[in-house]
Amino acid sequence: MKIEIVDSKGIKVIALSGDVDMHSSPELRKELMFMVRNKVTPLFVDFRGVSYIDSSGIATFVEGLKGMMAYGGKLKFVGIPERIMEIFSFAKLDKVFEIYGTMNDAANS
Amino acid sequence: MEYAVITVPSDPKYLSVIRSVTAAMAEIYGMADRVKEDVKLAVDEACSNVIKYAYRGDAGQKIVVKFFIKKAFEVVIEDSGIKAMPEFIEGRSLDDVRPGGLGVHFIRRTFDVFAFDQRKKKGNRLRLIRHRREKDEDRDRGQ
Repeated sequence: MKIEIVDSKGIKVIALSGDVDMHSSPELRKELMFMVRNKVTPLFVDFRGVSYIDSSGIATFVEGLKGMMAYGGKLKFVGIPERIMEIFSFAKLDKVFEIYGTMNDAANS
Repeated sequence: MEYAVITVPSDPKYLSVIRSVTAAMAEIYGMADRVKEDVKLAVDEACSNVIKYAYRGDAGQKIVVKFFIKKAFEVVIEDSGIKAMPEFIEGRSLDDVRPGGLGVHFIRRTFDVFAFDQRKKKGNRLRLIRHRREKDEDRDRGQ
């Protein structure tokens, strides 16, 4: 997994690529919880390059979302591939996370 | 019967190896891509559980994963860690949104059999079996 932190028109974006699994999710958690500690909002996560996610990756995002909700932060997911969307839907998380097709859709919401 | 056996260290960085072999065996079985992805995720979750619970995060142990292609697709995962207590293995309610507790759901939705072999003296032997279903067929290859 590769993580890039991008500043897009003043919005912090975590751009992920590759596999998010039990091996890589601690690194993701470190970056995400750093944002939470700094009360970043909104925070976008760009999923376009993600090829795989397991329950440890999902748990990391649930933890991040809960942390952000504590200060009214907005966590927005962008460009989730179909396969990963299916996993989110099965876990009923498609109704929990804010999910958008494009960065513009997320920014304009 | 076709089969493959891999032994990897109980280090999370080897989960990608387990996923690759799982996908390759599912391909040989002739699974559709979507099903192959489900199987890959389920086996990954089962092996992650071995690392987390049987070995308590000790990366220096061994996980043996055996794949058998018969009428059904069978995966046997062996470790020599702490005995699982199957009666307490339960995922969280999917309506209860909190970190953790999803892995078991991913395994159970994919495999028809999820059973620990109680005859194994030390460690665990988890047997996962998926019987062939109509949607398992590799439609991408027109089979």
